[in-house]
Amino acid sequence: MGRLGTFIGKELLLLRRDMHGLALLFAMPVVFIVIMSLALQNQFSSDSSVGVDYYLLAPEQDEVAVEFLRRLEEIDNFHRLPGGADRQLLLQSVARDDASFLVIVAPEFGERLAEGLQVIDLYASPGAEPARVLMFESRLRDILGRLYLMIAQQIMLDELGESSLIGDEELDRLLHFQSLYAEGGERKTPSAVQQNVPAWLLFAMFFIATPISTAMIHERSQRTMDRLVTMDFPPWMMLLGKMLPYTLINLLQVVLMLLVGVYLMPLLGADRLSLGHSPAGLLVISLAASLAAVCYGLLVAQIANTTEQATIFTGVCNIIMAALGGVMVPSFIMPPLMQQLSQLSPMAWGLDGFLEILLRNGGVRDVVPQASALLVFAMALLALSVLLGRRR
Amino acid sequence: MIEIVQLSYSYPGSQPALEDVSLCIDGCNLFGLLGPNGAGKTTLLSILSGLLPAPAGTVIIDGIDIGRSPSEARRSLSLVPQEYAFYPTLTVEENLRVFAGIQGIRGATRQQRIKEVCELGGLEQRLGQRSETLSGGLKRRLNIAIGLLNRPGLLFLDEPTVGIDPQSRRFILEAIKRIHQQGTAVVYTSHYMEEVEYLCDHIAILDQGRLLVEGSLQYLLQQHGSALTVDLGADLSASQIGRLEQQGFECSQGKIIQRAVDSADIHRCLASLQQECVPVVAIHYGSRNLEDLFLLLTRRSLRD
Repeated sequence: MGRLGTFIGKELLLLRRDMHGLALLFAMPVVFIVIMSLALQNQFSSDSSVGVDYYLLAPEQDEVAVEFLRRLEEIDNFHRLPGGADRQLLLQSVARDDASFLVIVAPEFGERLAEGLQVIDLYASPGAEPARVLMFESRLRDILGRLYLMIAQQIMLDELGESSLIGDEELDRLLHFQSLYAEGGERKTPSAVQQNVPAWLLFAMFFIATPISTAMIHERSQRTMDRLVTMDFPPWMMLLGKMLPYTLINLLQVVLMLLVGVYLMPLLGADRLSLGHSPAGLLVISLAASLAAVCYGLLVAQIANTTEQATIFTGVCNIIMAALGGVMVPSFIMPPLMQQLSQLSPMAWGLDGFLEILLRNGGVRDVVPQASALLVFAMALLALSVLLGRRR
Repeated sequence: MIEIVQLSYSYPGSQPALEDVSLCIDGCNLFGLLGPNGAGKTTLLSILSGLLPAPAGTVIIDGIDIGRSPSEARRSLSLVPQEYAFYPTLTVEENLRVFAGIQGIRGATRQQRIKEVCELGGLEQRLGQRSETLSGGLKRRLNIAIGLLNRPGLLFLDEPTVGIDPQSRRFILEAIKRIHQQGTAVVYTSHYMEEVEYLCDHIAILDQGRLLVEGSLQYLLQQHGSALTVDLGADLSASQIGRLEQQGFECSQGKIIQRAVDSADIHRCLASLQQECVPVVAIHYGSRNLEDLFLLLTRRSLRD
């Protein structure tokens, strides 16, 4: 093993002995992926186990009301809760967020509907998300619209003596929905796992800056670095000896987190992570993100004077970059201004690159813009850290 | 042989750390660099080992100008910093292997060198122990052992006995003597005068970046030790200070000093004090040791 090999071996040995550093790099992202993927299933999943709860109050049910209720209960994501027949009690329960909605069906439902009068009272709980309120209300309006059309048609057809009707089949044919996300040849909606694994993986990759900077600051303050210089250990070898092992650690993080998404998450009841079709593309974006993270660590080592400063600085900066870059809150649900601002975060570039492969089935060419941006960022930080290092 | 010619150095925005220092260190000597904290000892060693540039002045080590060819000059030297310059979470053996490997020492040679330095530092029984769990004395020994891995011709030791117990200090001092006897030139910095007296055959005293004196201990005591110091039993008034200073006395902190007097002048000095009605508590003539010498040269204690 040559001089560089000895130095790299030393870095890996130091990291192996640093339990806090290992926990930060490997355990923290696993925990985040598990918690956030499970917690955000509601945001992404069409799974019937993750749905909207509602109470129903329908004291008198005519034939059309029964049909209305049948159609409402057919919707997978809507779950009716048993709640009794006391309107005030049900309203109080919804006000306490025990369920998201209360649906009250008016008596003489069919007749009122035929006359175009109000037939439903809908109450939303204080905690109901606006998007869900909109979705629930739309579905109710859709059912009511179809029933109204059916009744109106029936009256007209009776008068005309015709027998043909525009039914659900004809209405459904008017719109064909397809997600452009596909897995195993089947088009489907991307899951929370698909969004969260790359996001938290990237978050963890940037935390490599903490062990890099603290190790370098310790070497500087204890004058181990001076000793290496007097041993005529070249600065370029020292730099390479720092970058290579930590890049390797970053790649190990990528492999581990992807394995968590593929094997662990399904065991916990979440969807399985789909790896896309381009291992080379994954490698390119992983390497680019890793170099950006490692060079960021080298710069922090030059900016900070103590290990405490470095730890706080990397922690705060990472959280800001993650919040801005769509790791904590997906950028597609941000308002337009925030979506533009999110592009300032290198985590956003990396995340976009990962999503090109994992979500949009892209290849190496598709991640070139994101990988290039990360590499330019890495080179700029490296140049700055070398400059500051020389000044010291 | 180290030749230092008119060396000056200032850290950005600070007072000069070294000012016009010229010194010649013979490779056969165990050279002691003495001075209080902040005197410029570590700065001087940093320049000698090529860590800091020498913007003013020249440093030549065995005929090589370290400013021009630092890499070549460093090959034969080793610096043992005052700090524990090793990896605390690695074991003693891992540290020694890492620092040997980084210097390109491999295979059987590496094993042999590790064995040698462990014997010298008394670390044979500690090879598997994590360095962070060693006592202060053993950490110092490991620090020195790492510096010996390349069998240096010139060894710079920066305060190698700070903060350790007397037993470990004695062990380290004996080890340094053995290293010197085996043919390694040693430059030893310390603010412990008794250590420098015990170890070093040649001494230089630095204070506030300036070289005060340089030479063998005996020479320094002879040349600079002929002073009379009188401890007083009362504070002097301003007028008394004025009159005594006119007669060549230096007055400070309850004592007066008159330099370069011979024994015949002692009576005259005491007569002057009697005339001023100043009570005398103690009288010292000459320098018994480095501490006295340093006090004379700098007018303050080395441990200030």
